[in-house]
Amino acid sequence: MTTSYELDVNGVTYPVTADQGKNLLSVIRENVGLTGTKEGCDDCECGACMVLLDGQPVNSCSYLAVQAQGRQVTTIEGVMEGPEMHALQRNLLEAGGVQCGFCTPGMIMSAKALLERDEHPELDAVRIGLSGNLCRCTGYAKILAAVEATAVELNT
Amino acid sequence: MAIAEVPRFVRADGPDKVTGSGRYAADINLTGQLVAKFRYAGVSHARITKLDTSAASAMPGVFAVLTAADVPDVIYSPVVPDRRLFAKDVVRFEGELVAAVAAVDAATAQAAVDAIVVEYEDLPIVDDLEAAMADGSPLVHQDWESYAVTGDTVQRPNVASFSSIEKGDVDTAMASADHVVTSRYVADGCHALPIEPRAVVAQWEGEKVTIWTSTQVPFDARAGVCETLQMPASKVRVIVPHLGGGFGGKCGFHFEAHVAALAKAARRPVKLVFSRQEEMVAPDRRREGMIVDITSGVKADGTLVARTGWIAIDNGAYTADAAFFPQLAAMHVAGPYAMEAVKVEASLVYTNHQPSGSVRAPTAPQACWALESHTDELAAVVGMDPVEFRRANIVDEGVEGAAGQVYGEIGLRRCLDAAVGASAYGDDLPDDEAVGVAISWWPSFPGPSGAYIKIDSDGSGMIITGAQECGTGSVMTLRMLAAKELGMEPEDFQLVYQDTSAAPYDTGATGSQTLLNNGRAVVEGAREVAAQLRDLAADQLEAAPDDIVLASGKAHVSGSPDKAVSIVELAGIAAEGEMLIGKGSGTPPEYPSVSAMCVGDQGLAGWAGPQFACHAVHVRLDRETGVVRVLDVSAAHDSGTIINPVAAHGQVEGGIMMGVGQALTEGTQYGDDAKQRNTGLLEYKLQTAADAPTIRTEFIEIPDPNAGPYGAKGLAEAPNVPTAAAIANGVAKLVGTPVRQLPMTAERVWMTSEGMSS
Repeated sequence: MTTSYELDVNGVTYPVTADQGKNLLSVIRENVGLTGTKEGCDDCECGACMVLLDGQPVNSCSYLAVQAQGRQVTTIEGVMEGPEMHALQRNLLEAGGVQCGFCTPGMIMSAKALLERDEHPELDAVRIGLSGNLCRCTGYAKILAAVEATAVELNT
Repeated sequence: MAIAEVPRFVRADGPDKVTGSGRYAADINLTGQLVAKFRYAGVSHARITKLDTSAASAMPGVFAVLTAADVPDVIYSPVVPDRRLFAKDVVRFEGELVAAVAAVDAATAQAAVDAIVVEYEDLPIVDDLEAAMADGSPLVHQDWESYAVTGDTVQRPNVASFSSIEKGDVDTAMASADHVVTSRYVADGCHALPIEPRAVVAQWEGEKVTIWTSTQVPFDARAGVCETLQMPASKVRVIVPHLGGGFGGKCGFHFEAHVAALAKAARRPVKLVFSRQEEMVAPDRRREGMIVDITSGVKADGTLVARTGWIAIDNGAYTADAAFFPQLAAMHVAGPYAMEAVKVEASLVYTNHQPSGSVRAPTAPQACWALESHTDELAAVVGMDPVEFRRANIVDEGVEGAAGQVYGEIGLRRCLDAAVGASAYGDDLPDDEAVGVAISWWPSFPGPSGAYIKIDSDGSGMIITGAQECGTGSVMTLRMLAAKELGMEPEDFQLVYQDTSAAPYDTGATGSQTLLNNGRAVVEGAREVAAQLRDLAADQLEAAPDDIVLASGKAHVSGSPDKAVSIVELAGIAAEGEMLIGKGSGTPPEYPSVSAMCVGDQGLAGWAGPQFACHAVHVRLDRETGVVRVLDVSAAHDSGTIINPVAAHGQVEGGIMMGVGQALTEGTQYGDDAKQRNTGLLEYKLQTAADAPTIRTEFIEIPDPNAGPYGAKGLAEAPNVPTAAAIANGVAKLVGTPVRQLPMTAERVWMTSEGMSS
């Protein structure tokens, strides 16, 4: 059944008319029109669809869009700080933590949430914080290095 | 190399990828676009007795329904053509396409797919490699003898391609050995598993079709469309937006023709996006399961004298690009060792499984795992340290390898020394920890490749290349080559790539060949532009062209840095007349000759630009559960000159992590019906950030004169080869005996340690 509601994505209110069973990932990609959030498995396993709901990381493939009403949805398109890249984005590039880039948006969302709840994470905390995001290209080493560099940069 | 001193390198496609603005194939949407869905066989081997699409075709919102009857009857695939776009009469694996639908939305398309009536008569399932090779086995392809195979390909019933490597008198040499060791190792198949499931969008304008697709090989994809839909290349344009990884899984021609045919029939653009489950079942690209029997003879002093090998490789239902697998597997079971006599035979065996195809270093990780586990067994039988045993027997400069190739300066011995030296090998370790060591090799693949280079009136450069970027950074690195040749900065160059109508041919992101081949093309093209710049500067500076040096964005007279003109200024002059445009395709390196006899030769016994590696892996075993954890990896690689260190380290780290997965968790499980049991990421486990070991990498840089630009060899596949083998040798030390099945799951490790057969 189709339903109409409003969704706050990256600080902008979007009117949405969609089937009430439609997941948040599909609404973001198809109704809102932001394609930076990716679908990798539709199974909550790969993390490519990770977005923030009121700052908490959520696999948007397995979350009903209607449930996000009244909450702040942040996608990769909302991470830039004006014209400047977020330190996570910049450090990922400089560390070589980006290869094919398909996991990158979800990885950044998980890392952002991690650094917002723990300003000085131990390496093992970073590993666990990113363990819901699969990357096939990098072996994770340069991604972990970029997140650690960001923690240092943001908190010194 | 001066080029290796570049302190950091931010890839040109990086900003798109970290901000979410980059478009992948699934992000492309066109006006009027329909959704494609496929009807799969769903059974592993059966004759089609009824196929009725009338109900599906009559459904509102359905614009096209296609079966084998609706497309040209073409049997395709390179070397061993044995399949059609849609099943005709017989289905041979669960993911085979029977029909395709284009409809207004996904729900309608799926309803139409479900409304197609297909009835089957079961045929006997062939899923055991040894039984399939036995006399009287049911055949996967009844009419295999009619297939138009090319080259020296040797076929037998249920064997799509057979190869052997034979050198010397193996019986006499084996009889001279003091010890003879025989081993059997069995590897499960597994998946490339790029995080991006593939997507294809096709749109016709008149008689021309444009296809946006997530392929690693745009020119191969175009050729496949042309062959199966019987169209000239001039009418087909393939564009790849950003590609979300491949690892071989997106090599070859897959579903571009199906979507193009749907779009033509529907008279509307059509888009296909695979689910993860489809990605794991339908493509004819997966890493092949394998049985390896090896027998080696050694002298009491540890000298290896002879080896025989028998290899059965699971081809699956169709051959895809796998005809060369037997020869490559045979080379890897022979291995980078010197010995008097060798006889290795390998067969690519048809089964009713998903077809195998090139996944990152096809056949090599499994064959290396078998060989290197066996090598530790050989060292044990003569009472030698496994590393010392390798030092005594490996190939080196001037030494003849198993297939009779004599090597130039190679870095294998230095790789062994470096990786072992950087590890805890030989240290006192807790009794649940050990370091395993494995060595490996892998060829570089010379091939034709082209690029154009131009400098516009404002002095900005552009590289227009046929090469494909699948994430490795090899296309990004082309900017470094052009910049070095032209005395400019990498950031001065834009890239136009992944469009078959814009650039010359390239083989694609396959065989670690991009930098090797397209790098040569870019260097050659840039040198043409450099010559033009020198001529222009010579006029301006009243000097001879040969005395002009291009550096720091300027052309100056040799020895007189102040006597200079900027490249921007020269570009402005050139724009008024003879423009700055260069082209390159380079001369591919030659394949060396070999002395071995090769039956079923696919041209891969003599290797140009052979790469070498050693991994030393520190593992910990939980004896109660059989769970193995990889703590750290010391890797050393000879891939020739390293052009882009950041990207090169990324290849090694990613290859190792893929190898850890293949070693411990990644393996396809089949039911008795020959269907895959673990087709989702819940059941098929990849390694996560929490599992990631510390990785130390050293490159042994020996420029290879018969390879890529500045002596670079391939790199992307080699790091995937020895990891599982090194882990296995660490685990075997802790368990006391090798775990003879791959992946070495906790269950298999525990059962082996308890003395039970797994």
